[in-house]
Amino acid sequence: MGKFTYDINRYEPKQMVALPAGLFIISVLFLAFNFFTTGMPIEPGIDFAGGISVTVFSDDSKEDIESYFSGYPLQSIGESINNGYYIVFQNMGDDEFRDLTDHVISEYPEAKIDQIGETFGKTLQEQALWAILISFILMAIVVFAAFRNFVPSVAVVISALSDIVITAAIMDVVGITLSLGTTAALLMLIGYSVDSDILLTTRLLKRKGKLEEKMTGAFRTGIIMTSTTLTAVAAMFIVSAIGNVVIIRDISAVLLIGLAVDVMNTWMLNAGLLKWYMGRGGRK
Amino acid sequence: MRDEDSTLKKIFSDWRVIAMVLLVVFSIASIYLLPPNFENGVEGNLQLGLDLEGGSWIQLSFDSEVVRFSSDMTASEFASGLSAKIDAEVIPFSADQIEIRKKMSEDELREIFDEMGAQIVSYDEGVSPETADDVKRILEDKVNNLGTKDAKINTISGMNGIVHYMRIELAGTDIKTAQDIVSSQGKFEIRIQTDGEETDHVLFGDSVTSVSRPQQSPPGSGNWGVAFTLDDEGAAAFRASAIKYGAVSNPEDHELLMYLDGDEVYHAPLSTDLAAKLLKGTVRDLSASTGSGDESLEEAQKLEIHLRAGALPVDVSIAGSGSVPAALGDYFKMICVIAGILALVAVGITVYYRYHEPSIVFPMVMTNVVEIIILLGVARYIQQLDLAAIAGIIAVLGTGIDQLIVITDEVLHEGRVPSPNVYLKRLNRALGIILVAAATVIFAMLPLIVMDLSSLKGFAIVTILGVVIGVLVTRPAYGKIIMAILSKKPS
Repeated sequence: MGKFTYDINRYEPKQMVALPAGLFIISVLFLAFNFFTTGMPIEPGIDFAGGISVTVFSDDSKEDIESYFSGYPLQSIGESINNGYYIVFQNMGDDEFRDLTDHVISEYPEAKIDQIGETFGKTLQEQALWAILISFILMAIVVFAAFRNFVPSVAVVISALSDIVITAAIMDVVGITLSLGTTAALLMLIGYSVDSDILLTTRLLKRKGKLEEKMTGAFRTGIIMTSTTLTAVAAMFIVSAIGNVVIIRDISAVLLIGLAVDVMNTWMLNAGLLKWYMGRGGRK
Repeated sequence: MRDEDSTLKKIFSDWRVIAMVLLVVFSIASIYLLPPNFENGVEGNLQLGLDLEGGSWIQLSFDSEVVRFSSDMTASEFASGLSAKIDAEVIPFSADQIEIRKKMSEDELREIFDEMGAQIVSYDEGVSPETADDVKRILEDKVNNLGTKDAKINTISGMNGIVHYMRIELAGTDIKTAQDIVSSQGKFEIRIQTDGEETDHVLFGDSVTSVSRPQQSPPGSGNWGVAFTLDDEGAAAFRASAIKYGAVSNPEDHELLMYLDGDEVYHAPLSTDLAAKLLKGTVRDLSASTGSGDESLEEAQKLEIHLRAGALPVDVSIAGSGSVPAALGDYFKMICVIAGILALVAVGITVYYRYHEPSIVFPMVMTNVVEIIILLGVARYIQQLDLAAIAGIIAVLGTGIDQLIVITDEVLHEGRVPSPNVYLKRLNRALGIILVAAATVIFAMLPLIVMDLSSLKGFAIVTILGVVIGVLVTRPAYGKIIMAILSKKPS
C-alpha cells in the first residue's frame, strides 16, 4: 500500500526505542506522583471511591439540573449530544439517598441510578488492582512459555507493560476515572496489545528470510490488525458517547487510547528491542 | 458448475467447518426454539441483565462478623459469655467459630477477647452460611409477597465460605420498592379467641424480643416448632389475656392467633403444659409448634419469618444499589445493537480497503458474524448479558477479525496461493500465533472470574467464551474455507 510513512527498516534500534521509552518513564513518574499524593495512581470513579451516579435524558439545561439538585452534594455533570446527562453525587447516608431517589424519580422517572457505598467501593478497588496485577503476571507466564526465549519474551512483556502504564497516564490526564468498566478495558488491553507483539516476534524468530522483509511483512499485517480493531472500537465509542451509555463509552475510550499507544510500543519499542537482539546474533 | 461443487465439497468435508455449521444451527435453535419463545421478539431466549431489561438491584453487607477463636471454653459457653459482655446476639456455629451480630472492629473485639482469656484466630466481616440462608429466605418471602415476576437473590462469599454480601436483583421493579423490601417491617400481632369468631388483642410484634430458627422439640422427635421470647410487658399481657378469657382452663375454645399485616398466619390452642405454667406466673419463653414432617419444617420456617415480622435476624447495610427503568433498558438495547452493527460494518470496510477482494472479505466478515451468533447461543445457557458483557462481545469481534487477518496474511505470504502442503503448514503456523494470543487473553481475564467484581464477571466470561469458540472452531474453519475458495481461483 505504501501509504504509511513510517519505514520500519530505516531506523536504528536506539532511535526506535527512544520515544516510547521516554513516554514510559514520564508516565511511570506521573503515576507514582499521583500514588504518593492521593494514594491511587489514577483517580477512582464512583465504583471505587463510592458515590452516586444518575443517568437521565432530558431537554432541561445543565443549569436547570444543577439548581434542581442544589440541595445535594453534587460533584459533576457530564453531557452528551443526545440530551443525556451523567450526574455524579458524593456519597451520602441511607436516608439521604432515599430522599435523593425520590427527588430524582419525581422529576425524571426514566433515570438510571447507581450507588456504591464507600466500603464496598474500597473492596472493589482492592480487588480490581489485584486483578490487573495477576492478569499481567499470567500474561507474562504465557508469553515466556510460548517463546522459551528470554530477550524476545521480555520485549513483549515490557511493551505490554508500557501500553498499560502510558494508557493509564493518558486516562488520568484526559479525565477518565478508574471504574469497573475501565479496569476491564485495561485488562482487555493486556490481551489486545500482545496480539501484534506475538505476531511480530513469531514472524521474526520463526520464519526464514531477510530481517528487513520479515519486519516489513509483520508491520503490514500488524498495522491492518490494529486498524480493524481501532475502527470497531471507534464505532463502539461514537455510538455509546452519543447515546450516553457511560460504561461502554469509557471502555471504548480506554481501548482507543490503548490501541494507539500499542501501535507505538509494538513497532518502535518491541520491534526496536528485537532488532537489536537479532543484530547481536541472538538468532536461534 | 462442477468446479463449484468440488469447492463446496472441499469446504464441508473439514470437521471444523461441519462443527461450525452445527454450532450455528444449535445456537439459533437455542435462542429461538429451545424452548420456543416468539413473543419475545429478536431477544428470544437470551438472558438479559438488569441494565438492559429494566429493574433494580441492591447489594447488602451484614453488620456482623464471623470470628474463629481459641479458648478453653466451648463455643456455646464462649458465645453466651461474649453476648452478655457486648450486649448483642452471638451465635456459635462450629467448634471454634462464632457469629457476632453487631458491627465491631477486630481491635475492639481483641480487647474483649483478651479480657475473656481468648484469642482471635481469624476475623471476617459477614455471616455464617446458615444465617445467610435465613436472610435469603426472609427476603424471598418478602419479594414473593410483592408478586415480582423475576427476582434473583445471590450470596457472595469468600473462599472460606463466609458470606460477605447478598445481592438482590429485581426485574421490572423500581428502586423505591427494592429499598422497601430490605428495610420495611410488617406489623405482627397476637390475638386470642374470646367467643366463637370474636378475638381480642394480646400483644404486638415489638414485645417479641427474639425468635429461634425452626427446631425439633424435644430434639430428634421430628416435631417442628419455633421458639420465641417475650419481654416482661408482653409476657404479663399474654398471661392476663389467657386467664381473662379462660384459655388456661379451656384451651380448645380459646385459641391463640397470629397475624401479620392483618392476615392470619398461625393459630393453635395453648398446650396443657403451658396453661399450667401460666396459672402460676408469667412465661417469657414460648414455642409455637407446627407438627411433624417436611411440610411442618417449611411451615416452621415461614412462621419464623412471620414472628420476626419480616425483620432480618442480623442488621444489614446497603453496600450498593441501582436501577434502570424498562424504557431506558430498551434504549440501551437499541444502542448496543447499533454499536454492534456499526462495528461490523467498520471492520468490513477496513478489511476491504486492505484486500480489495470480495472472496476474502466476505468469508472474513461472515466468520465474524457466525462467531457472534455462536457466542450468543452458548451464552444463553450460562451468562446474563448486561452492558459490560455486550462490550465484551464487541471486543471479541475486534480480536476475531485480528486473528482472521493473521491467518489470511500468513497463508497468502508472497502473494501467490501456495500448494496444499505449504498451505497447511502456513495455516498451522498462523494457528500457532493465534493460539498464543488467545491464551494471553484468556489468562488476562481469569482473575475477573474468580474475584467476582460484580458486572465484570460477565464481561470476562463472555470474552473468554468468545475467544475459545474462535480459536477452536471458527477461525480454523475460516482457514479451510479460504483455502478452498482461493485454490479454485486462477492466480
